[in-house]
Amino acid sequence: MAMTLYHGEPNGPSLTVLAALFETGHEAELKAIDLTKGERHGSDVPRSVEVDMSIEGEGPVLVADGEPMADAVFVARYLNDAAETSPIVPTDPYARWEMMTWCRQIIERTAPAAAYLGVKATLADKLAVMGEDGFNAMIAPIRSEDLKARWIAARAGDFEDDKLEDSHAKIKAALEKIESQLKDGRDWLFGAFSIADLETYAWTAGMRGIVPEAFENKSRTAAWLGRMQARRSVARALSLAKSAAPQSVWAPGPEINRWG
Amino acid sequence: MSDVTLYHWEPNANSGKPMLALMEKGVEFDSHYLDLLNFDQHKPDYLAVNPQGTIPAMTHGERVLTESTAMMEYVDEAFPGPKLMPEDLKDQWRARWWMKFIDQWLAPSFSMIGWSVFIGPAVRKKDPKELEAAIDRIPLPERRTAWRKAIYGTFSDDEMAESQRRVAVGIRMLEDALSERKWLACNSYSLADINGFNSTYALPLSQPDLANDEKTPHIMEWLRKIYERPAAKKTWAMGKTDMVKRVQLLERS
Repeated sequence: MAMTLYHGEPNGPSLTVLAALFETGHEAELKAIDLTKGERHGSDVPRSVEVDMSIEGEGPVLVADGEPMADAVFVARYLNDAAETSPIVPTDPYARWEMMTWCRQIIERTAPAAAYLGVKATLADKLAVMGEDGFNAMIAPIRSEDLKARWIAARAGDFEDDKLEDSHAKIKAALEKIESQLKDGRDWLFGAFSIADLETYAWTAGMRGIVPEAFENKSRTAAWLGRMQARRSVARALSLAKSAAPQSVWAPGPEINRWG
Repeated sequence: MSDVTLYHWEPNANSGKPMLALMEKGVEFDSHYLDLLNFDQHKPDYLAVNPQGTIPAMTHGERVLTESTAMMEYVDEAFPGPKLMPEDLKDQWRARWWMKFIDQWLAPSFSMIGWSVFIGPAVRKKDPKELEAAIDRIPLPERRTAWRKAIYGTFSDDEMAESQRRVAVGIRMLEDALSERKWLACNSYSLADINGFNSTYALPLSQPDLANDEKTPHIMEWLRKIYERPAAKKTWAMGKTDMVKRVQLLERS
């Protein structure tokens, strides 16, 4: 099966899919793109409605047998199911439900918060100094109007206080949940290593510098973060970084729930 | 007496998803109806089952499951009966993509409009003190925020306009997908269709200018085909209020 993975710096959803690729042992051509420069919407990356309208925002694109696929957890699930064994997904239906439900909470609550805070801390200033014509040309090919609006808001420095506060709270809640999940001394969130570990690590590891208080007094989480960083697939993904600190590279992600 | 109990509201949106999935699989289940508008889901009896107070929830023996889309995948995998996820792995990915797109992007826009015209006004007829007490009992803080917005109709004009924009975009995307293939995610009926139907079965009534036989013939045919399935007929017969009678609009003339 011919696969090409267009990925950003190993952080957020790009880290999930890169590490999932290495966990599952598939061969894929890797093509690094700069998500912070809108390259996902450029002419080099194959498009589909699912890529354009992905709720994940600026995530990686896996092209398998000509089909461009988006949404990191489902792409990771695809990679798992295409492997001979099921290396990163439990086989029991209830254990699968637990894992997918956990991932859904990360996608819906943690990821929007991390992307909001990450973009404010690392991208907004860079966008603000871009020339208007250059910025407009960069976002012109973005087909999702609401994703485009998130880029425009980031450039304008339009970050609402209540959303910032709520995002801090969401990151803290995620770390509390991780610590609690690990309380019986397990190595990985659901016993055996799974996509839940990858997705959770991918969205939280970069928050250490932005919401440091969320990580205080969480010894089990600290040890888990260390195990994750040392894991071969994650280390290999991190070794692909083009910047010194890939965990500080953020592009507009999923939106914060409009229902509050 | 079955070892499966489903706690649900009307066959609509999230509640309808596992109802229809269980019916399609032919799984016997005990139905436990919760009146969403009476806040049954935040009462102690139900919180003992699902401490988060969200609907639906399902018990299978000792197992407790929430989150309707993940629950449907469990139903498909844990019980015998026709497979509701496609064989092909890329089709599976597409089914999951569409379910997430609907759950997280399209359905919240439908519900913002639905709540403002139907549920908000209905609930606002209750005693204000009783309402506040009911909101205070909601366990999840984000659900408290959402219910406040819904009950008091505090969505701004901009938010409502954005929801209407998304509904129009989403309807176009559904029509395009259904003109390319037989069902929403692939050429076989799947959980994506069950998910999609629950969010869109009332479109001909709620968005008559956007969804109709002229503009969206593929959506209309898709809705009718699902409505005609015996499992859908049984599921919608479980409705207790007038709201689910909207499904009868799909009867072929």
